Order: sequence, then C-alpha cells, then structure tokens
Amino acid sequence: MAHTLTAKGIKCLMLDAGPPIDYDHDRVPRKVYDLPYRGFGQPGRFPHVTQADEFNANVWADEKQNPYTYDAADPYYWVRVRRIGGRTLVWGRASWRLSDYEFKAKDHDGFGDNWPISYSDLAPYYDKCEPIFRVSGRKEGFAQLPDGNFIEDKSPDSVSMMRFIGAAKARGVPTTKPRRATGSLASSLNLLLPDALATGNLTVVPNAVVRQLTVDKNTGLVNGADFVDRHSRQERHAEARIVVVGAGCLESTRLLLNSGTANSSGVLGHYLFDQFYVKGTVQAVVPEARDGKGGADLMGGSGYIPRFRNIDSKAQDFIRGYSVDFGSGGTPGAKYFPHYGEALQKAVASHRGAGFDATTMGSVLPRFENFVSIDPTIVDAWGVPALHIQAKYSDNEFNMARDAMNTLAELCHDAGFEVLEKHDQMVPPGESIHELGTCRMGDDAKTSVLNKWNQSHDIKNLFVVDGSSFVVGGSQNPTLTILALSMRAGDYMAEQMRAGSL
Amino acid sequence: MERRRFVQAIPFLYSSPALLAQAIAKLDGAATDAVGRPLPHFFSGAQFAALRRLSDLIVPAMGGFPGALDAGAPEFLDFLIGQSPLPARVVYLSGLDALNAHSTAKYGKAFAAVDDTEADALLSPLHEAWTWQEPTEPLSLFLRHAKADIPTATTNSREWITASARNRGSAGNGTYWLPPE
Repeated sequence: MAHTLTAKGIKCLMLDAGPPIDYDHDRVPRKVYDLPYRGFGQPGRFPHVTQADEFNANVWADEKQNPYTYDAADPYYWVRVRRIGGRTLVWGRASWRLSDYEFKAKDHDGFGDNWPISYSDLAPYYDKCEPIFRVSGRKEGFAQLPDGNFIEDKSPDSVSMMRFIGAAKARGVPTTKPRRATGSLASSLNLLLPDALATGNLTVVPNAVVRQLTVDKNTGLVNGADFVDRHSRQERHAEARIVVVGAGCLESTRLLLNSGTANSSGVLGHYLFDQFYVKGTVQAVVPEARDGKGGADLMGGSGYIPRFRNIDSKAQDFIRGYSVDFGSGGTPGAKYFPHYGEALQKAVASHRGAGFDATTMGSVLPRFENFVSIDPTIVDAWGVPALHIQAKYSDNEFNMARDAMNTLAELCHDAGFEVLEKHDQMVPPGESIHELGTCRMGDDAKTSVLNKWNQSHDIKNLFVVDGSSFVVGGSQNPTLTILALSMRAGDYMAEQMRAGSL
Repeated sequence: MERRRFVQAIPFLYSSPALLAQAIAKLDGAATDAVGRPLPHFFSGAQFAALRRLSDLIVPAMGGFPGALDAGAPEFLDFLIGQSPLPARVVYLSGLDALNAHSTAKYGKAFAAVDDTEADALLSPLHEAWTWQEPTEPLSLFLRHAKADIPTATTNSREWITASARNRGSAGNGTYWLPPE
C-alpha cells in the first residue's frame, strides 16, 4: 500500500511493531554445533511455530511476549514475524492467482458468499505485482489457475517427473511448474520499501506496537493510532488523515477489536479460515533410483497440481478442492525405514536421492463459527489485550484430505513408484501461515466489515489490506492476491483523495 | 573487561560493518562444547546408562564417522531433555524406565547390560512400519523420539561434522539470524 501511495505523492507514516533488519549483516554463517542446542532449538521457545529452527529462531515473534489463547481441544498455531518486512522475509514464495472459482465460489456450489469483486477486477493488479516479485512460471491456460505475467520457466522435467505427470494426465489431473517469486530475497523489505522510501514520502517508525486506533467523536472518522515504543514502553499517539491497517490477518483484526471500531456488522473476527496442509501426504521411492542410480536425468524437479476437483465434475463428499506440491529427488527420512543402527544407515544411503513426495494444500470453508475474539484475561508484553482463537476443520476438509491421499497414492502407483507411507493427517489450523478472513469484504454492510475496496463500511477513512479481507481463499497461497488487493485499494484511495472524498 | 564495555570498544577495532557483525556473531555464539566435558545430571544413573547403550545401538560408529557415543549424544540429550517442557521429559523418563523394566523382566539385567541380540528383541517397536499416528505405549513412543533425536544430536555434533569435512562434506553450515536489537 505504501509503495502505491508514495508513488502518487501521498505522504505515509508506517508504524511497524518490529525492529528493522539489515538482511546482509543481521544473518551470519554459523556451524550448527556452535549453536547452544545443536540445532534442536531452545526447548519450549516456539511451541506453535514448527517452521522455527535454531538458525532462524530470532526471526519469529516471541510467543511469551505475544501470547494468545485457544480451547485445549482445538489448538491453533499462530505463526508471526515481528520485524520490518514481516513474513515476506521467510515466505515460501509460491505466487498463484485466484480465479472466479474462488471469487464467485458460491455461484459454483452454493456455499457461503461470493467476493464482491471478480477476477477481472483484480487481474490488472496481478499483472503489476508479478513483475515486482519476479514470478517465474509456465503459462497453461487453466481456468481455475489464471496465467500471469511470468518469467517463463523453461526448465525440463526429469524422467521421474514426466512419469508422474503422465500418470496424472491419464487420470485427468492437471499439472504445471511451480510459480514462485525469484531472487535471493523476495520481500517487501527489498522489493517494495526501497522504492517507497526513495520517493521521500514514506517515514518508517520501527518498534511501534499499536495499541488501538483512535476515533474523532465529532466525525466518527479514525484520526490516528496510539502506540507503545517496544523498547522504552513510552506511550505515543500518531495522527493521520487516513488509516490503513496491514498488520497481518489476525493482528489487524485484533487491533480493530481492541479499538472497538468498524464492527456494526458483528462479523468482525468471524469467518476465520486458511488452507489446510497435509505435509508429506505421500512419501514414495522411485525404484530405479536406489543405490545411487538416480542421475539428473531420472530424478529431480518439482511441480504443482492445481485444483481439479469440482471443476468439470462433482466430487462425492466435498465441495471445492485442493492443490498439491510435488517433488522428485529428495531422500526419504530415516523414520520411514523400520531399522536402526547400521541397517538404518544403509537403508537411508540406499535411498539417497531416490525419493518422491507430495504435500496437499486444501481449501477450507469460511464458517461464521470459526472466529477470533479478545481474551479479557491476557495481555501481551506491552499491555495490549490478546486474542482468543477458535477454529477447527470440518468434514468437508477431512474428506478432501482423504481424497488427496488416495489420489496421490494412485498416481504414484501408476507412475511406477513405491509408496513408503501415505496419510491424511492435517497440521493444526494456522500452521500453513495462510490465515484468512475475520475482516471480510462484501457488498452488504450488515454481513461484511469491508467494501470491495478494502474500505471499512463503517468508517470511510479506514482501510484494511491483508488476508483478513478474504471472503474465500481457495487452495492457492494467498500472498500474491494480498499484494494485488493492496495495490488496487491504494489506487482507489488515491483517487478518492484527489476527488476530495477522503 | 566486562562484555558491554568490550562490545562498545569493538567499532574502533574493525574497519567495516561486515567485520564488526562477524565479530559480534562470534561473541554471541561462544562454542562451549569445544571446552571441557558435559556433566549429566537430569537422568538417573540407570536411565543414563540405558540411554548410552541405546545411543550406541542406534548410531554406531561406522564408515569413518563417529557414533553417538563419540559425539556425546547421550550427554547432550541429558542437557536438552532436562530443559524441555514436561511432555518431552515424560517421554524420555517413562521410556527409559520402561526399557530397563522390560530388560530386567526378560533377561534379569538392566538394558545397559544386554547384548546386541537381547537388545534387538527389546527394540522390536523400531522394526515396525512408521505411521503418522504416534504410539501411546511409553516404550514405543520413546523409541520413536529417540530414533529421531539421537541421530540429530550425533550428526550435528562437532565430532561428526569434523569427520564430514574430512570426507569433503559440507554438513552443519547454516545462516543464523542474529537477535533483534
């Protein structure tokens, strides 16, 4: 958003809860045995961040300083980064467009609500975002996964990949190359903020933990934010003509809830969803690659299965669909082999580079009963009330995961691979780091928080530009859509300011 | 010199920010495992003896690489598990006690004293196919964790990585994010 606004000459003040980072100097080479815990990490430091290891531990938000709660029966893994650049410092870079199978999902299956926008509304902004993030990919013409403005991926497929792709094609399952942001770093830190700062129109204030937005009692408009200095704990106030909240899905909603604003609909905090993950849905072996026989021609490469269920035909026991990341050439983990000692080491050595694995990412239905609220019993290290998160998956997701497991096992079998293990156990909600909803868009102010421009229905000078605005998420990673929505909202805001409406 | 004053003096000693950052990184990453030896204190004598025997069975020295005992894996796990949250401690304590109890019941001696054939019978859960469903029985659950932890504690040790370097490997390298200000 700041990238868009500052380019149009609009002065922006960015309050960021985290410290700045010098990406080149704040990361140093180190041997794992020089770490205090030999790479295991400090025990108990990150009970909900499975992505944390001892090398990257300092990038994740401290869970003790930033607590949240959930019911014991329904754990939620909330994964946060509080440094300038946020989660784009460590994201997986997968960059997919949504399609009208998501924007108009209700039209396809009758569940829930449509977005108030169509793919055609967002396509021009996807076109602008992809070059900034240098997204590579291959154009395919899939209706459910629109092509983009890619750096064309011309890499060849290995023999094992061609066998899997062929097996998939024979069963009507589409595949394509990954679509990923490229470059040594693909973050707002290096791709968006430098341009914005270069305009001279952006002031970044690090270590500013925003407590609440403030509202002018006479106009009903937001007029700024109260924040706490992360180090000194000094309380401060910043004034603003327009406030844009982009703190990350649940942090933005937490801020609005703590501010007591923008919730005439009563749905603020509701319709929380994400993408469910079944990591390592299948772990297989390419038999011919055992014992060091898998050269570069046979093994290696990665690919993606876009959603294919409920496109041309209807699945029996679930609506919507799932996607799959798959790859060839890894080494199956030691856990898969029923040995120990020398026998285990020999088994692992025999399978080095002979693995094929696939991970499922499934669409989660947005449901009112999955929600966040303020927990009145707990505050963070700066005295800001914390969230209580209530989320669980439903039969639609469980059935989808089972279908993915069985389908992938069949495809591996058809490709001539040996399946070591298959499963359909999802990681806990939140672990995909794709939390979405809770501040959703809509045309009806009674059932949504934001209008189609990411603008509050209640307070016209308040915008929310992150995953919280999503109505439906699909199975695609959401970052590219968040970027496109933000850029679109920025254009709208600037035009409204120019016209004197804001 | 106290650490704070030393750090304040560093800018005058290093000519570039990169060198300064490297120097501070080295200060933050003091490698204590290169000096002295660990003093196990968390597990009981019987538990620790069982852990040492198990470690030697799971990762024996082979192929020019040190085994778990050479790498100090049992001593490291004593340190790690001793600092871990209660569930992890319970897994290890219950599992090691179960291992000794099964061994005593079957062979009349602690696990540390069984030979390889006797040990193999006691470690039968490790011969079962792995599934995503965690076992609930204490010994099986412990062995599942130990099968993952002992190799990691071994291959991430200075001893193992030094041997890897001799074999032209590049194990153990990583990019460490320094703590924020």
